[in-house]
Amino acid sequence: MRYSVLLSLLLSVSSLFANGQNNSNSAEDLHRAKAESALIKDELDNARAQTILIKDEIAQARAENQEKLASMKSEEEVLKKNKSTHISAIGQGVSPLNTSSPAQAYALAKRAAIADAYRSIAEKVKGVRIEGQDTIKNMMVQKSTIRTHVQAMIKNADIVETTFKDGLCEVEMEIVISYADFAQ
Amino acid sequence: MRSRDGNSNLLRRLCAVVFCSSLSLSAGEYLISYKYIVENITLYNETLLISEAMKKCNGEPQKEFVLHSSGSRDLKEVVSQNSEEFIEYIHKLGLHVEHKEITTNLQNRSTTTLILKTTCFKVDFNDNFVKIAPLK
Repeated sequence: MRYSVLLSLLLSVSSLFANGQNNSNSAEDLHRAKAESALIKDELDNARAQTILIKDEIAQARAENQEKLASMKSEEEVLKKNKSTHISAIGQGVSPLNTSSPAQAYALAKRAAIADAYRSIAEKVKGVRIEGQDTIKNMMVQKSTIRTHVQAMIKNADIVETTFKDGLCEVEMEIVISYADFAQ
Repeated sequence: MRSRDGNSNLLRRLCAVVFCSSLSLSAGEYLISYKYIVENITLYNETLLISEAMKKCNGEPQKEFVLHSSGSRDLKEVVSQNSEEFIEYIHKLGLHVEHKEITTNLQNRSTTTLILKTTCFKVDFNDNFVKIAPLK
C-alpha cells in the first residue's frame, strides 16, 4: 500500500516536471518562430526593395531605348516629297585568267565590277532575302548553308569612278532616287 | 500656175516626197535583248541579241541615242562598232538585277545576272549616224 502511494506520488511529480519542460520548450519554439518570421519579413522587405529597384532600372532602360529609337528615326534618311536621295555603292570585279590582252582583261573586269555595284545598290534599295540551313548530326554540324537572293530593276545608274589595279577593277556607282520614282 | 523659172514648186514637192519616203524606208523596228552573267565576280557570259521585228511594235519612242555609222544599214554591224557606248546606253535604260549567293561550309559562290528584257527599238538609219530609241 505504501509503495503504491509512493509510486503514484512519484508519477504525479514526474508528470508535473514533464509539463513544465514542455511549457518551456513551446516558449522557446515560439521565440524561434517569431525570430524566423521577423527574418522572413526583413527578407521580404529587402526583396520588395530590390524589385522596386529592378522595376526602376527596367523603366530607365525602356526610356533610353525609346530615346535611341527616336534619335535613330530622326537620323534615318526618309525620302520626302519633291526630294531625292543619292545612293552610292562600290563594285569589284576580277578579269578571267584566259584573257588575250590587258585591255580585254580591263573591259571584262569592269563589266563584272558593274554587275557587283548593281547588286550592291539593289541590296541597299530593295533588301536581301536570306535563308539559312544547318544540319546537325551527333551534336556536330554536318552542313551549314546560307542562301541570299536579290532581285531589282535599276535605271539611270551612273559610274562615278573606275580603278583597275592588280587585275581587280573597282567601280563606284551612284543612283539618284526621287519620290516620284516610287509614287505611282 | 506656172512660175517664171519653170515648174519649181512641183519639183520641190517631188523632192520632199522622195526624201520623206527614203527616210521612212530606212527606218525600222528591231527587237533587242541583253544579258550578262557574272559568277564569283568574274564575267561568265554576255549575250546581245538583235533581230528585226516581224510585227509592228506599239508605243512611243523614249530616250533617243545616236550611234556613229559609216553608211551601214546593218544594225548589228553598227552596234558592234559602238559596242561600249551602246552597252552603256542599255545600262541607262534599266536592267533587271538578279543575284544569288550560296555559302556552304564557309565557301561562297555567287551569281549575278543583269538582263534587258526583249525590247522593241525604233531605228533610223542615216548617212553617218543611226538614231535608236526604245518604244514604250
